[in-house]
Amino acid sequence: MRAFLAGARVQLRFMTAYPDSLIPFFTSPLFTIVFLLVFKHAGRPDLTAYAAIAPVFIALWWLALFNSGWTVTMERWNGTLEMLVASPSSFGAVIFGRIAATTAIGTVSFFEAWLVARLIFGTTVTIHHWGAFLLTVVATLAAMAGTAVGMAALFVLARNAVTFSNSASYPFYVLGGILVPVSLLPHWVRPLSDVVFLSWAADLLRATLRVGPIHQFWPHLGMVVLLGACGYAVGLFALRVILVRVRESGELSTT
Amino acid sequence: MEAGAAVDVRELRRVFTPRKREPVVALDGVSLTIPAGEVHGMLGPNGAGKTTLVKILSTVLLPTSGTAQVLGHDVVEETRAVRPLIGIVFGGERGLYTRLSARQNLEYWGALYRLPSATIKERSAALLERVGLTERADQRAEEFSRGMKQRLHLARGLMGDAKVLFLDEPTTGMDPLAAREFRRLIAELKGEGRTILLTTHDMVEAESVCDRVTLIDRGRLLATETPRTLGRLISRFQRIDVTGADEALLAEVTALPGVSSATRQADGSTRIEVSEEGATAVVLRRLVDGGVTDLQTSLPSLEEVYVQTIGERGLGV
Amino acid sequence: MSTLRVVWYSIVNGANDYWSIFTLKSWVFGWLIRVVSQVTFFALIGKLLQKQAQTDFLLIGNAVMVAGMGATFALHQPTNERGNGTLPLLLASPSRPVVVMLARGLYVVADAIWSALLGLAIVGPAFGLHFPWPRVLLVIPLTVLVGAAAYCFSTFLAGVIIAHRNINNLVVNTTIVLLMALCGVNVPVSFFPTWLEWISRCLPITDGLEAIRGVLAGDAWSSIAAHVGGELLSASGWLALALLTFGRFIRAGQRDGSLEFAS
Repeated sequence: MRAFLAGARVQLRFMTAYPDSLIPFFTSPLFTIVFLLVFKHAGRPDLTAYAAIAPVFIALWWLALFNSGWTVTMERWNGTLEMLVASPSSFGAVIFGRIAATTAIGTVSFFEAWLVARLIFGTTVTIHHWGAFLLTVVATLAAMAGTAVGMAALFVLARNAVTFSNSASYPFYVLGGILVPVSLLPHWVRPLSDVVFLSWAADLLRATLRVGPIHQFWPHLGMVVLLGACGYAVGLFALRVILVRVRESGELSTT
Repeated sequence: MEAGAAVDVRELRRVFTPRKREPVVALDGVSLTIPAGEVHGMLGPNGAGKTTLVKILSTVLLPTSGTAQVLGHDVVEETRAVRPLIGIVFGGERGLYTRLSARQNLEYWGALYRLPSATIKERSAALLERVGLTERADQRAEEFSRGMKQRLHLARGLMGDAKVLFLDEPTTGMDPLAAREFRRLIAELKGEGRTILLTTHDMVEAESVCDRVTLIDRGRLLATETPRTLGRLISRFQRIDVTGADEALLAEVTALPGVSSATRQADGSTRIEVSEEGATAVVLRRLVDGGVTDLQTSLPSLEEVYVQTIGERGLGV
Repeated sequence: MSTLRVVWYSIVNGANDYWSIFTLKSWVFGWLIRVVSQVTFFALIGKLLQKQAQTDFLLIGNAVMVAGMGATFALHQPTNERGNGTLPLLLASPSRPVVVMLARGLYVVADAIWSALLGLAIVGPAFGLHFPWPRVLLVIPLTVLVGAAAYCFSTFLAGVIIAHRNINNLVVNTTIVLLMALCGVNVPVSFFPTWLEWISRCLPITDGLEAIRGVLAGDAWSSIAAHVGGELLSASGWLALALLTFGRFIRAGQRDGSLEFAS
């Protein structure tokens, strides 16, 4: 637990020290503006909720790919990976703490979207189902963190991590239905969407911002949690492999 | 395990098998005992296995075979017991969070070493004071000079109040003043009863700060000696480069007792090699009396010493 | 003549850098998939709105935007030079840094233009976009123009931030989304208040994109020509600004020490 908090605290310091970490907080309002402009121009004020949610997912996913995903790799390049392994604290706990902090900060983008809608477009994003909304947010953040742990571990082990992470943004925005629901995608793509937790989470969040009952809330929430847990499990397993590589084969040595 | 031994290594072997390449034996049956409170130097060229040994002892790397114990705990079986007791100080530019301040670096590691918050604050301030970084405590590490970074490394290694410290080539790249200052710190730490294992490829450094020095090359320990012995070893194999001496004088000097060879160099000077203590002084006197003024003495390199000592089957002094 | 040689070698240099990062496989499965997904992402909004005209608008806009996006990556050039430690060497050489920078990034721009055209060609038919033949061929040189204009703009920006390596990535990413918002990529600039429309027309991409839309929609040649003129004006304006100010920014950075050469 202390290791988790130590990781979280140092991550917050990193975020202020590295301007790159702030990219999503600059682009989120701009994406919100883009989407709201489109819907306003099309005369569809009912889609405001869509425009507010998509930038949040973009921000969170960006943070997972370009910030959290590089946690372990950065430790390696920094020469601190082995020191971390040699410390009395749990390696996995520290990494998870750092990733959790990043993910939590990502929620600022929701406030940015809300503000942009309010101040620039004069529309309000109203939450109609508060309980469901909060639960979905928590589940989404947890799933995002879990997936990010998976990314952090895999990016160390995979050779093409850089290329992959640069290209893994928009494909997942499409498959995840973060702006346009997956129901509008062709049938053959749906199975892919179903295993991306984003699609379930986005659908749910949109539903909480709509008037009217939410269909199948618990099963959908369950899918978010399940898929996030899968990411986390993959991550934990891969982190263990990394520890082995450090200690047994000496492969990840930086000295 | 010897009573009072801080580090006890028995037949430690470490083989690396990189992909598509021949296996590399980094450590080949190394045995070593370091009593508590000793400053022990590990002297050897690059690739000798020094860093590998440090990594195994600091639980970063697992050995292929053999055992190693730190303060009575096996580094493999009792990793969790070992980790809070040790501190690692690597040399070089890396190993610090450059965008964090010196203080923030220490506080982070303090947390990872499970110290209570009050202790973290106290100890980081005290250590910064000790290594002379108090004024720069809140500056980003990336703005530090090499020497300052190294001092921060040392402070970091001490955050856990380590009983055993592993310093891996800590003064590499430091300017002489900074290096001297660093060695003074090490002497202080020894005074506090800490055990220190210091790796280096600088003979002079090994001599100046260590109680005992182990020579290591190609994964094997050649010998463990006190620095004084090493010093005598060095001076024993001193050589003199002479320019401007005529053949007769050279022949006379070469015939002196303790002179092992005289070789013509490409630049026209002659290198006279000496293999006995005290012979240098005699040679120099003879050369100066003979009117030679262009003289230079030098010490052999580490490799040359090894070649000589292995050639003589070990170190007899 | 020697300037041309500098340019040629800089292009080759840039190309080599690029291909050391990408293999054909990673380009297709990494980059191209991303491009296709990006265009698709926005085109799908048209499906959500259930208007083919919207789909066409968004699709064309975001495909062409890929050219602008890639051109904006040129902002990374000076940082790469500094990271490689070659910036001081460049500055000490007789060649003008801005010329070398411009040439070195050409490969990235060419790739961006090519990617934009591919994106249009692949995603267009999937969403029912109609390509009038042979007018559609004009889209190629027009996309080149858009890419070039965006490149001149980003080279100017590269000079502005040359002493601030820290925020390089931040500026690149923000610029890209800003261009998406302002250059008529997703909504026509006529939808903006007048003052904002003026700003948009000064930026690259805006007029070029309208020209491309005009070509595909079968607009009158006079209107298309006017837009082409607008884009040419924009491109030359930003280029002139870049040539004039790049050296100045470097000297300013050298003077106040903000352009430190240690990476």
